[in-house]
Amino acid sequence: MRPGRGRDTFLALKSLVTASVLVALATALAVSSDVMAQPAPTPDGPPAPPVPLDHVDPSFGPLITIEDIRVVGNRSTAERIILRAVPLAQGERLRAADPRLTAARFKVLALGYFRDVTVALEKGSAHGRVIVVVTVVERGTIVLNRLWYGSSALAPYWLGLDLTERNLLGTGLLVGGGVVHAGHGNVDGARDQWGGELRLGAAGLSGTRWGAHGAFQIQRGSEVYRLAGAPGSSDNADLAAFPYRRLGVRGGPSFDLTTTTGFEADVRIEQIDAAVPSGDRTLDDGRVVALDLGLDAGKSRVVSLAVGFDRDTRNDPVLPHQGNRVQAQLEVGGELLGGSYDFVVALARYERWWPLRPRHALGVRAAGGAVLGDAPRFDRIHVADVNRMLTPRVMGMTVAATAPPDFLGTDNGDALYGELGGNLVAEYAYRWFRRPKSIYGGDLFVAAGVWGLHADGAVRADGASGWDALPVDLVIDAGLRIDTELGIFEFTIANALGRVPRW
Amino acid sequence: MVSRPLVAALVVATTLAARPAVAQDGGLEKQTMKFLERGSSIYLTGNVTSVFDARAYEKLENGLISTVVVRLWVYPENQPKPTGFVLLHRQCVFDLWAEVYSCALAGPTGRRTYKVKFRAEALKLLTALDQVPVADIANVDVDQRYVVAAIAELNPVSKETMAEVRRWLSDGAGGGLDRGGSFFGSFVSVFVNLKIPEADRAVRIRSQPFYRPRPKAK
Repeated sequence: MRPGRGRDTFLALKSLVTASVLVALATALAVSSDVMAQPAPTPDGPPAPPVPLDHVDPSFGPLITIEDIRVVGNRSTAERIILRAVPLAQGERLRAADPRLTAARFKVLALGYFRDVTVALEKGSAHGRVIVVVTVVERGTIVLNRLWYGSSALAPYWLGLDLTERNLLGTGLLVGGGVVHAGHGNVDGARDQWGGELRLGAAGLSGTRWGAHGAFQIQRGSEVYRLAGAPGSSDNADLAAFPYRRLGVRGGPSFDLTTTTGFEADVRIEQIDAAVPSGDRTLDDGRVVALDLGLDAGKSRVVSLAVGFDRDTRNDPVLPHQGNRVQAQLEVGGELLGGSYDFVVALARYERWWPLRPRHALGVRAAGGAVLGDAPRFDRIHVADVNRMLTPRVMGMTVAATAPPDFLGTDNGDALYGELGGNLVAEYAYRWFRRPKSIYGGDLFVAAGVWGLHADGAVRADGASGWDALPVDLVIDAGLRIDTELGIFEFTIANALGRVPRW
Repeated sequence: MVSRPLVAALVVATTLAARPAVAQDGGLEKQTMKFLERGSSIYLTGNVTSVFDARAYEKLENGLISTVVVRLWVYPENQPKPTGFVLLHRQCVFDLWAEVYSCALAGPTGRRTYKVKFRAEALKLLTALDQVPVADIANVDVDQRYVVAAIAELNPVSKETMAEVRRWLSDGAGGGLDRGGSFFGSFVSVFVNLKIPEADRAVRIRSQPFYRPRPKAK
């Protein structure tokens, strides 16, 4: 859309969205202050008991000796995989109320291979001896992780999917992967893009808390950049693209420190072959700025070491209403390791939920990161990483170059990649329904917050300074999030905006 | 002569079959309970038998422990703030060889253990609310109408166990190329979307209103 006509549409939309943000925030604050005054213990929000609900006295019940452990109902899953998960052994002497007997069901369920698991005891061959019978009902273990689809001025279409087989041939090994293809629009130098990934993994190696994972990736893409026009211009005539190819492997161990806390480490080796152009960019006000595309021309290599931390105490990973989650990642790459880029990437994320009155919850999400040194372009923070109203990268490839909405007049349209970025979003969620089967639940939500992305070489409109030059703006979203047996679906404003061509 | 276990079984069968239609997960069952003022407490008599269905009743003899947790609140009618709360924690386990049920009942009056022969008796121990002190009379105004709300759960799963299972289920190996996107995004996909119920069964029960009559002047 050309700037003249698009400007009017944009201004109208901007006013509407800004008003919506203010209403949403005001509503959230009003409701939260109201519900805070409500008493905590109600039948919908009972007070926590002093001990876990499934607490049992381990000295309670008759003394039994496990004569055998039998598995029933497994057709494709190897028996040893199930037995490995059962925290009991033949010959063990314990009370019938021992928590491990109750836990056995959940340990087997946690493998993710079964729709249902029941555990029962049967009489053994002599008094006091019992047989533990574990009955399983297998489920499909191919999981659809992601679907990519959409259209933009840069890519008329993109289409792809990512699948995982959690239980390869009944061995408990994980194999997954995805492919995506994107067409190219009328941008000088652009070409069709495609990418693929193959993943392997195993959790609970030999019954320990250790796991291992590895992945191979390949991409043949074209990366867009602005060559002319005003800052933030999304006109294809102002854009250009250069071709590149990425080929990489990564892998490492993982370790579960506790039930809610885990660590992960990775080694990454990646080769990049990019036809990076050199030269300058001419703005429509006549200024000329140097192009910095964040990649070495020709062949280069990324070698890095990374560690990650994750602590998750939320009550539900999909539709949380209480608890918190902390994640952190640190990646270091350098010539000392044999790479072409010296860089450090630090990312952190915090999320917390407060249950309000029954069915209502308030959440806050904060995420941020810093990229130090000479990180390759693909490892910098993308604007869609921090602003969910934009089209996210698809398997690492850029499929849209739409400028973010400028609600605050802070002129951040030019930042595509940055070195310092983050967002802070408040979300108000309403528990619409919960069910035990198929469609587990749905939450309506409204979210609003701020995002920021600082890029060293960001270009701004001539004369922009002070408030106008602050690299921050608003982000909003609202919609319905549904948790189903097939996966998680989001019908939201931001999701829709990221899949269709815009101003 | 009719045997005791037969009578007990008939009582149980009748009770299970006549369970109110609303006594399902998420539904609200209305139950007529008995209330008694004695000493400094209000005592309640009722039951949460509807937390058992036929399958759960069968499972009582599988040799594993069965747990019923009952939470009771006393509310002034049409008011949100409760004036009394009681937590009952009851467990029974069947000894396959001795063929007896060992039961432990814990509540505001302490913990007691029982051994019973028949499954129906174990069910009664798990679900009967027999003169349970639910409120201090100091907190129950004369002539004010009150109701009791109860939630009963069969084999509830603690938040700790749920968190543990969920973590294992969402453990995706290898990650994805959208490192930035998934890291910053509001949402990280769950790799196996299997729901673990928070209890085998749960029922919500509400009593009829009751009140403390004003003592007659002598």
